[in-house]
Amino acid sequence: MKTHKLTRFLLPCGGLLLIGLLWWAASATVSKELPSPWKTWEDSKVYVLRPFEKRGETDQGIGLLAYYSLVRVAKGFLLGIALATPLGLLIGISNPFYRMLDPAIQILRPISPLAWLPLGLILFRHSEPAALFTIAICSMWPTVLNTMAGVRSIPHDYWNVAKVLRLSPVQTLTKVLIPAALPNIFTGYRLSLGIAWLVIVASEMLTGTAGIGGFLWQEYNSLVYAHILLCMLTIGIVGFALDRLMGAVEARLRSA
Amino acid sequence: MSFIELRNIRKIYRTPKTERHVLEGVNLTVDEGEFVSIVGYTGSGKTTLLGIASGLIPPNAGRITIGGRTVEGFYPEAGIVFQNYSLLPWFSALENVCLAVGAAFPGWPATRRLRQATRYLEMVNLGNAMHKRPSQLSGGMRQRVAIARAFAVEPRVLFLDEPFGALDALTRVNLQQELHQLCLQAERPVTVFMITNNVDEAILLSDRIVPMTRGPRATLGPGIPVPLPRPRTASLLLHDERAVRIHSSVVRLLTGFAHDGNLPVHHASSPARASRTRPAEAEA
Repeated sequence: MKTHKLTRFLLPCGGLLLIGLLWWAASATVSKELPSPWKTWEDSKVYVLRPFEKRGETDQGIGLLAYYSLVRVAKGFLLGIALATPLGLLIGISNPFYRMLDPAIQILRPISPLAWLPLGLILFRHSEPAALFTIAICSMWPTVLNTMAGVRSIPHDYWNVAKVLRLSPVQTLTKVLIPAALPNIFTGYRLSLGIAWLVIVASEMLTGTAGIGGFLWQEYNSLVYAHILLCMLTIGIVGFALDRLMGAVEARLRSA
Repeated sequence: MSFIELRNIRKIYRTPKTERHVLEGVNLTVDEGEFVSIVGYTGSGKTTLLGIASGLIPPNAGRITIGGRTVEGFYPEAGIVFQNYSLLPWFSALENVCLAVGAAFPGWPATRRLRQATRYLEMVNLGNAMHKRPSQLSGGMRQRVAIARAFAVEPRVLFLDEPFGALDALTRVNLQQELHQLCLQAERPVTVFMITNNVDEAILLSDRIVPMTRGPRATLGPGIPVPLPRPRTASLLLHDERAVRIHSSVVRLLTGFAHDGNLPVHHASSPARASRTRPAEAEA
């Protein structure tokens, strides 16, 4: 039991330490431009220790920047799943719709956010809706595919129950289909949220909006490399936290 | 007056590569209020026949009528109990029954639906476990919920697909008895169409037993009436001479099918051989 706890705590720490060492080694030898871990901390501690301080439009605490990005991701993600869930249910239920839409989805799915963003700018002419459009469209596919898979894997028995009890289409949807597919739907949501968070950086970098990705690009242009690393670490930690959060929701649904 | 009528039913399951001719020339009539059991080997197509009779599975040929109406899609005034319970795991026992009641009587107010569902759950002795989910119930309790769900819609016809097949021997006997009581207590006569592979169960519950030949191209043998007085109990039937005789004629018909696959000559009236030992009841 004791060793189990030890390995559960110490091994992940060891992994992180290893990355830190590599970072330090790279900054000390190959790339003199790369700030060392210690210098990164020195240069960015004002952002971390006072995370919600707004000193100016281009100079804000890291918590505030992450918050802007999270709000944008939340909007894009919600828009994405609001479109993706019904679409997934539809192509899960109906074979003709599946045949019709599956190739289109498979073609749209691998298109990079960097490619969608210009299209968004052309369509909406403003950077904010373009960013939301990009997040929504890139993050919706895992939800579409998982919802579809969830519906298609519903045991035949449940369909029989709906038939035998003569449930109306609405009842079949709310009492049988959605509850049965819910664990899969939430797996889709978790993957979608991960992608939405990935896309945020690209879309903020290209549109120059305020947020963690926008800040990263701004600091690169002003040659403050330590802040780039700070942004990267923040993005990673926030993404990890989001995934864990959705994972916890998903686990609850599966056990229920 | 025949209530359920099956005429020349044929069923073939086709996949691109294979073809399974399951049923051929199945004819059956069931009177209103009659309890008929189809007894046969596993895999002979009994469940398919029940699916066809209830309207869940369309046949390749033949015609089904219930109460003079041609059956297309699941018959509206029927209840069904599946072998594997088929309860919705995200609902409690009560919610499962309520869902069925609500769908069968959409005009009823919520309180009346709840009363109906509660009443039927109490009839199968689940008054204390109504709010539990299927995963928290034992196999016997789950099947009780399924039986309550089927009866709560006050069906004219009840289809039972090996309803006790997945249960242990003792639970099985208890539930058979409860089902027997429910059928006797029903406010209007319920016509029951049961599938089973257990001859004793069929004798306990049925008015008539119809053996099914082995597949492929399974069909029904001659029906054997069960003119025993009700209420019946499993222990009484053990020593009832007529029950023993019926048992042996059913078994003889079935084993006859097993050997040549064809319909043997009907010997229902021949006396049971004294040497024939009954299989242990625990086989149930």
